Amino acid sequence: MIRILLNHQWKSFWRSRNAGKSLALQIVIGFFTVYLLFSAIAMGFMLQKLLTNFFPGQDIIKIFCGFILYYFLSDVLIRFMIQDLPTLTIQPYLVQNIRRSQLIRFLNVRSMITAINFVPLFLFIPFTIMVIAPKYGGLTAFAFIISIVSFTLFNHFIILYVKRKSIINSWWYVIFFGVIGAFAAADYFHFFSLRDASAAVFIKMLAMPFLCMLPVGMAIIAFINNYRFLLANLYLEDIVSKSRKKEGAEYTFLHRFGNTGELIGLDIKLILRNKRPRSVAMISLLLLFYGFIFYKPQYIQEGKWYFLIFGAIFITGLFIISYGQFLFAWQSAHFDGMMAGNLSARTYIKSKLQLFTGVSSVIFLLSSLYGFLNWKIVVIQLAAYLYNIGIQSIIAVYFATFSYKAIDIGRSATFNYQGMSAERWVYALAIYVVPIVIYLPFGWLINAWAGITAIGVLGLTSYLLQDWWTDILTKGFLKRKYKILDGFREK
Amino acid sequence: MITVKNLVKTYTGRIVVDIAALQINEGEIIGLVGNNGAGKTTFFRLMLDLIKADRGEILSGEKNVAVSEDWKPYTAAYLDEGFLIDYLTPEEYFYFVGKLNNRSKADVDEFLKSFDTFFDGSVLKSGKYIRELSKGNQFKVGIAGCLLQNPGVLLLDEPFANLDPTTQLRLIKMLKEMHAQRRMTIFISSHDLNHITEVSTRILLMEKGLIIKDLHTNQDTLSELEDYFKV
Repeated sequence: MIRILLNHQWKSFWRSRNAGKSLALQIVIGFFTVYLLFSAIAMGFMLQKLLTNFFPGQDIIKIFCGFILYYFLSDVLIRFMIQDLPTLTIQPYLVQNIRRSQLIRFLNVRSMITAINFVPLFLFIPFTIMVIAPKYGGLTAFAFIISIVSFTLFNHFIILYVKRKSIINSWWYVIFFGVIGAFAAADYFHFFSLRDASAAVFIKMLAMPFLCMLPVGMAIIAFINNYRFLLANLYLEDIVSKSRKKEGAEYTFLHRFGNTGELIGLDIKLILRNKRPRSVAMISLLLLFYGFIFYKPQYIQEGKWYFLIFGAIFITGLFIISYGQFLFAWQSAHFDGMMAGNLSARTYIKSKLQLFTGVSSVIFLLSSLYGFLNWKIVVIQLAAYLYNIGIQSIIAVYFATFSYKAIDIGRSATFNYQGMSAERWVYALAIYVVPIVIYLPFGWLINAWAGITAIGVLGLTSYLLQDWWTDILTKGFLKRKYKILDGFREK
Repeated sequence: MITVKNLVKTYTGRIVVDIAALQINEGEIIGLVGNNGAGKTTFFRLMLDLIKADRGEILSGEKNVAVSEDWKPYTAAYLDEGFLIDYLTPEEYFYFVGKLNNRSKADVDEFLKSFDTFFDGSVLKSGKYIRELSKGNQFKVGIAGCLLQNPGVLLLDEPFANLDPTTQLRLIKMLKEMHAQRRMTIFISSHDLNHITEVSTRILLMEKGLIIKDLHTNQDTLSELEDYFKV
């Protein structure tokens, strides 16, 4: 049965509408996975040498044992970010003659095939065989490997459970990060040493190999827990049981912009009420803190202004860059309605440009706080801001008219490549190249401030020409409208 | 008035819509019938300029719908969920549509009052986003959103398929009333021959993209259609 289900997954991967594109992506991801695994193996074989070099004269087995729990703690964190929840569109299978337990077993088996489960094996097993086995004997080494595998599986199933739970109730997020944070903090402030604990546990295990049954037990409990949770929730209804009453919202300040304002309000609701655009917006806000990296005092002292201007463009333009990446695709689910509704294509395009202007203005105001570091930063950010509203936004809308792939805004954004395609890479390139092209002649021939002025002035000029740009963008949009509509209808 | 001239649309070599000439007068209620794949939805999409015709044109009030956007203010349509903005509450959606058609909030509220029985208490103030409504209720929202625009031309794709029997009858009554009030031109596609003959003044029977019958509704129409669809 599991073989048939795996076979269906295989088919669904190859026969999905955009198999070609996702294949290219899979190859890229596959390449990185192989690289990661290869590094892990190489690390595993060199571990003995590395430890001897870094900790000369110390017992490397003890050092090694002290390292293991650290690894699994960070493993938990990494898994929480990147480990996929295995999903199978269970609906068609539920009514077939398949036992529920079989479906769940499939989900569990399928979930185990992921690179992150192999990293600890590749990392720890060579050392165990090369160093521990000769000293403590084969049986002990075997028990040691068993416990490493068990810890891996324990992490694997615990994370699946915690992730599923935190979808239902976000308190699980808080508790999860609280516990991990408490461990890290306790270790950092020397209340308790994770390293000593880890060393103690695993060295004890070397003396008494049968202790490896303990992690095995933990792994089994984690597995059963996950299994039972799935069994109880394998129904068509969403696991999500939030019954919070939804209230409508109205943004009165947008009223004076007429229809354009209505459309901007729509975009704001889209961002606030859907998972993927929301996380894009959150990330753009969080990355405002990048200023502390780009605006380092030594750059200011050394007068590396060119470094600051590109940093500023990036920081203040991040929303345009990332939200603009899927500008129309965010609305792919109701794009038919948008196009058939009583609003002209020009108004639609204009609303997007004004949304960018509005959000950029807010971000500019927020980022002006960096002025406390040095007032020149505000001047630089002003130039960057003008560039963003005048030129960056035009680039974003222009490239959006070439993106024909629908995306599901309800799904989370981490490692979600849905909607990515070749034009996206050209877009990314344009974002980097255009400001450099504007800056270089002035920055080289005169000085950095001339380059910054050029970026600001050109941005402002382009912004003043926005009506003209809107006409051009609308023309391009109307030309490719049918293609966009066709693409968005193919989900 | 809507005029179709030499309209052809093909998908990968297969003809889906092929209408040489068709004229729809103001105030007609057109019932579009035909088996799956006859080209009804595609024809609707062409009228709304959502897909590009390979050849020919559709004129709405003398203007090609693919060239000018002048048809938008007086045309309303609901084909499927792709016309709803699913992360809004129904009220927000109605206000949004109202705003695009220059109707104030109070105006919209007034309008919605007359829909109380149609909604049957499960749409307004439900505390749900449209995406959380059942398919039938989503359809009600879509239809109300259309009528809210007080359109001159209305397009509904299989409105009876997703509605409960009571609402189907209410819809027929409502459409007839609205049609009588202002000479609305209505296009409805349906597989329900009883309903469609009851509501339409003219029936177009499509088969593989062609309009093979163009009937003015009278007491014989239903049996004529039933003859065609006989197994």
